[in-house]
Amino acid sequence: MTNVDDSWEPHLLDEDEFIREVQSFTFWFEAVEGYLGDRPYGHDPDLPEAALGEIERDQLVTILCNYCVGETAALEASSGLVRLAATNPSQIFMATQVADEARHVEVFRRRLEDLGVADVDGEIARRANPELSEFRRQLLEFVDAGQWELAVFAQNVLLETMEDTVFRYHATVADPVTAQVLDGVIADERRHLGFGENDLGRRLARYPMRRAELAEVRARLDPLILASFEATYRDLGLSRAEAPELGRSYLEAVERLGLAG
Amino acid sequence: MNDDLDTVTAPATATATDEPPRRTYELEETGFREVPKRWRRFYRIWQGEGDTLAPNEVICPVCKVVIRSRRELRPGDRVYCMPCMSRLVVVRNADGGLEAEVVY
Repeated sequence: MTNVDDSWEPHLLDEDEFIREVQSFTFWFEAVEGYLGDRPYGHDPDLPEAALGEIERDQLVTILCNYCVGETAALEASSGLVRLAATNPSQIFMATQVADEARHVEVFRRRLEDLGVADVDGEIARRANPELSEFRRQLLEFVDAGQWELAVFAQNVLLETMEDTVFRYHATVADPVTAQVLDGVIADERRHLGFGENDLGRRLARYPMRRAELAEVRARLDPLILASFEATYRDLGLSRAEAPELGRSYLEAVERLGLAG
Repeated sequence: MNDDLDTVTAPATATATDEPPRRTYELEETGFREVPKRWRRFYRIWQGEGDTLAPNEVICPVCKVVIRSRRELRPGDRVYCMPCMSRLVVVRNADGGLEAEVVY
């Protein structure tokens, strides 16, 4: 480990050392301890619940049910990707993502219970957006077929970037407990979307012919994700014109990867 | 100017001898908690409208966190975004300001 003194900074690490450092369990553990150490189930246990009206509560239940669908898809896919990872740091990173996604499923389900949902599984099944369920099916097909690049694109770039945008907006308008839960999830998502873009970026620099297949997948999956998160915005009470630009960060990412157009 | 810092400056910048010396900065904690403690002062959350970047700061285009350095940044400098694991290079944008580009 590099010595820390008055002149030292992380930008001095060589690239291999940087990757080994950030794609390590130690880094993950110390990072999540920083923002989750005092927040069991994602929020301060002493934070008082806001009084929600019946319509507001019902909309929040629908939103959280669909967050559970997305996070469960990512949990199942990332656990399969551990086996497909090409390097030890990637494999370790993906193992930390499995833990993150499992935590997300747990905190969203707990939040549903806090809101009085007795049959969480049944409620998720009833309220799941069909496009998001179809996205989950296609993502898991990529994993089952051993298609690392397609799965990482679908999960870590497409799904994570869209989730990041929606969660950020939702955190600004949510009740305080839900907002704290979302803040922790957003911090985790930074690692996931960054890993996805950087891993794919390196691969595409080496194998540019892979862009065509990724663009094809993108054309197939984009409408599913856009439709499902537009539904979330509607549940948040936003019209299409009022909604933040859902795809902006995602489009910036695909442009950097050379997958736009 | 610190020799250790000079050693990581990209050649194009290092050879620009007519440039004034870089300013250096004593970094304070920013409340950022998403990386291990020893690195938290090198990052901060972008506050949105009304926030401004200091000469030792750039925004990560991937995750939008502000990346900070102990020294004034210049085009060609390499910086890392630990929160999202991106490797970046500082470039001059069309407006004359500094921004970071991802290096795959």
